[in-house]
Amino acid sequence: MGKIFKVAVRDYIETVNTKTFLISLLMTPVLIGVIIYISRMQEKGEGPQPPRHVAAVNVPDELAADLDSAFSRYNESHPQGLIILEQHGKGENEGREALLDRLREDVRSGRLEAFCVLDDDILEGKGGLHFYTRKVSEFEFGRTVRDLFSEAVVNFRFIKNGLSPKLVNELSRRVPLEVVDLSAKKEKKADGFAIFIVPFFFMFLMFFGIFGISGNLLMSVIEEKSSRVIEVLLTSVSPFRLMAGKILGQCAVGLTLVAIYGTASYITASLRGMSNLLNPVMMIYFILYFLPGFLLFSSLIAAIGSACNSLKESQNLMQPLMMVVLVPIMLWFKMVQHPEGTLAVVLSFIPPMTPMVMILRLAARPDLPLFQIIASFLLLLLSVPAFMWAAAKIFRTGILMYGKPPGVREILRWLRSD
Amino acid sequence: MTDCALSLEKISKSFGDVRAVDSLSARLPAGCIYGFLGPNGAGKTTTIRMITDIIHPDSGEIVILGETAIERVWHRIGYMPEERGLYRKMKVRKILSYLGALKGMKGEALSRAISRWLEELGLADKADNKVEALSRGMQQKLQFIATVINDPELVILDEPFSGLDPINLDLIQGIMTRLREAGRTVIFSTHMMEQAEKLCDYILLVNRGRKICDGTLDEIRERYRTNQVVVELEGDTGFVGELPLVKGSKKDGRSLEITLQDGADQQELLMALAGRARVNAFQVKVPSLHEIFVHLVGESNG
Repeated sequence: MGKIFKVAVRDYIETVNTKTFLISLLMTPVLIGVIIYISRMQEKGEGPQPPRHVAAVNVPDELAADLDSAFSRYNESHPQGLIILEQHGKGENEGREALLDRLREDVRSGRLEAFCVLDDDILEGKGGLHFYTRKVSEFEFGRTVRDLFSEAVVNFRFIKNGLSPKLVNELSRRVPLEVVDLSAKKEKKADGFAIFIVPFFFMFLMFFGIFGISGNLLMSVIEEKSSRVIEVLLTSVSPFRLMAGKILGQCAVGLTLVAIYGTASYITASLRGMSNLLNPVMMIYFILYFLPGFLLFSSLIAAIGSACNSLKESQNLMQPLMMVVLVPIMLWFKMVQHPEGTLAVVLSFIPPMTPMVMILRLAARPDLPLFQIIASFLLLLLSVPAFMWAAAKIFRTGILMYGKPPGVREILRWLRSD
Repeated sequence: MTDCALSLEKISKSFGDVRAVDSLSARLPAGCIYGFLGPNGAGKTTTIRMITDIIHPDSGEIVILGETAIERVWHRIGYMPEERGLYRKMKVRKILSYLGALKGMKGEALSRAISRWLEELGLADKADNKVEALSRGMQQKLQFIATVINDPELVILDEPFSGLDPINLDLIQGIMTRLREAGRTVIFSTHMMEQAEKLCDYILLVNRGRKICDGTLDEIRERYRTNQVVVELEGDTGFVGELPLVKGSKKDGRSLEITLQDGADQQELLMALAGRARVNAFQVKVPSLHEIFVHLVGESNG
């Protein structure tokens, strides 16, 4: 045990005490902060925009007033981004081709953002709107204009049929919904945002804790192999202890990261009055699933590292492993909505995925069947020695093997060697 | 302490179809410098790696410091592999204290040993430098320190002299001699015969994975003695070829290389020569290890 500890301490210090580690430690939250800031900025709009001009051709005279009022209502509520409508009534249809050519020119020169041509029967409910623009990718703008036209047209139809638009709106209002969460002891109003984001946050923290440092472990193993220091080490410590020490050292690095990010998130959440989202029970679950999950994965990574002479070579072998981890990330949205669905339950019992899937499900629904929690945890726990045993065998052979990197098949053959 | 530091009993190792080491046996007495000689590809490194349990022999038995399980004597062994390497980003002192600690040393004793060795090998002012900042020769010396930091009873050095300049070569050889005087056993492999001749008490010569000969340096020289003398005589030397003791002679500049009849005594020849001419020089020719090596390797390849 003493040697495992010594190896672990060296690996921990040599990993944490590097500029790369410090930078990655600082960069990640900064990056997350920047992303949050940008998305918040987008919600608020990007500040005052110059007014955008839109022309409409073939506007029925009956619609002109409704259109104007729809646009002016919009402009009142969006002073940062005015939309100015120029109407060309049916009366101008004589020189329509010339008009359209002129408008095309205006759009290209930038005077107009877009122009639209109304079908003749737009008021009867069949015809539609033809939207001409240079910036087709700004579909949101097109949709806004469409909505404003719809509003005007629908209003017109109501009035034409003797209905009050105001009354229709009131009558067709949808039934309001309030979701109350009963999964915790204390009933609380569910927060739509938190329902999705908190489980994702936990899953991501798990992903990050387990994988953020996997690169370090891979590098540390490959360094010992390619610098040939391994032969010196192996006349002092057994391959298994060396591997165990390295894994423990990196596990400590992972815990350091999780502790720092966890604390930072908690402080952020508290400052924003959301600390109730991160409860201590979840923290306990997190650590319980993190430790075996980490051991399992880093055994695989140590085995892969031992078989390769450079980081580049390891990419091929890392790919299948990455696939396994990406599955929960790709399916999180479905699982968060159906934490007790077949998909989520099945993935919970595939040991390499267990930690991420279970923490996601537990965050989404704290009252998961106890049976599933215990069974998935035990399965994970029991698979750790099996994975470590297999990894140690691969490590023992691989770490002294130079030359061409082995394929998966050859690695599997090492498992059978004595 | 056992009298035998290391014994190899018919160890063999094949890589694919190549028999790298073929039924090699040897006994290494404790307290000597043991040279492990052979041309490139003879199986020296493979044998050393089997001794250090880096690779397993296909068959045979290795007893090291009285144990068959090497992990029991790790702390009594120092090993310098042929392919050198240390953590490039670590500082000199930290590496030594890590490797020393893995060998079971601790605290004050360890840090004293580190300081002493760094001082001795002229690396004291580099203690806080990273390995990658050292020159190749310095890294080599650092690797040597890492090998002997735990004052091992058995020091195993694979090609210890490659890449060393003459000054460092003398330094390392001096330390090897001193280790022997302190009762340690040193095994090293080399294909540089002059170094082996200067240092070794015992020699094991291998070629193509097989032992060609082994024994003390004197024994081997005696075994391959050619019974030749080199003399310098004044005057006519024509009579030499007619002496009954002489099998043949060859003139080489001012000197004459004389091959004696089998079993003939060199002292008798000297008397016979002195009776007939003035002898300015008389030297019994001792075969150099280099000559024996070339002769034996050539023979076993032929």
